Amino acid sequence: MTDALLQVVHAPLTAIALTLAAFVFALWLYRRTGWLVLQPVLITMLLLIAGIRLLQLDYAAYREAVVPISWLLGPTTVALAVPLYRNLRRIRANLWPVLVTLLVGGSASVVLTLLAAWLLGADLSVLMTLATKSVTMPIAMPLAEQLGGLAALAAVLVMLTGVLGTVMLPPLLKLAGVNHPAARGMAYGMNAHAVGTARALEEGDECAAFAALAMGALGVLTALLLPAAVIGWRWLGALG
Amino acid sequence: MLKGLLLLVVMQAMGALLQALWLPMLPAPVIGLLLLLALLVLLGRIPESLEQASAALLGYLPLMLAIPATGIVLGGDVLLAQLPAIGAGLVVSLLLCIPLCGVLMQRLMTGSREDD
Repeated sequence: MTDALLQVVHAPLTAIALTLAAFVFALWLYRRTGWLVLQPVLITMLLLIAGIRLLQLDYAAYREAVVPISWLLGPTTVALAVPLYRNLRRIRANLWPVLVTLLVGGSASVVLTLLAAWLLGADLSVLMTLATKSVTMPIAMPLAEQLGGLAALAAVLVMLTGVLGTVMLPPLLKLAGVNHPAARGMAYGMNAHAVGTARALEEGDECAAFAALAMGALGVLTALLLPAAVIGWRWLGALG
Repeated sequence: MLKGLLLLVVMQAMGALLQALWLPMLPAPVIGLLLLLALLVLLGRIPESLEQASAALLGYLPLMLAIPATGIVLGGDVLLAQLPAIGAGLVVSLLLCIPLCGVLMQRLMTGSREDD
């Protein structure tokens, strides 16, 4: 490549163009095919990784360049308060079902994940990282580190869970006969956090509100209870 | 629209302040979400500009999630090394917990409705 071309390719503007183009294409593909496997988050991510490799961009420089887009994730998370507020009455009316589902489903998810991974020989740092996989990324990464896991791996696992969960959710919910938007929303938010919530937005306001609620509440509960559970477990281990 | 965006950013900034002061375990945007929810409850309505800004932003949520997701290139080695265990953990828990959460919530809701 000539110097001028190289300069343009490595300019921040190219990174932004690449990112927007990947998303526009992913969205078009998802709407055109209607296939759940082609989640816009997943396709955009794959296209971006391919683009970064192909153009030989430095990864840290790429992330720096797309800050004008990625900083919006913060305000967008805050914006989830709007569908939550719109459905506040429905949520209040179902406060106990929500709390019980969060505690039972949240614990079952952590226990089942750890059990399956432990049986197949995952080591301790991977187990501690896996424990945080159902939680939205900004909570999961510091939490994994606090528990003795790996923050970078936590981000990967959270993403995998989100995408895999969003693909598995609609058929499994259909199989189990779950058709109430609030119950679907809880399942989306608890099992696939933000990716599930993005999909729940497609199913309507009530579904999205419960998904956002489930994601946020499960995140907060996990951040508070999981460290306590791990300390308790180690303490029991030390006694035995 | 811009006023709405400003409100969202201010709430996130206040969330960041509370996080730094008292709540290190919660991310600033999640605290900001709770603050905005409290504000809306006090107001009793959703301002037009906030409605517009949030609808616009939420439509692009997958784009904003895809960018941090590319971080997979950094943590890929450990993932590949223990892929069977990690994959089994993820798939088993999703297979069982998705129906569990959905059915439990649906049953509990219809149950509580019959009570009153």
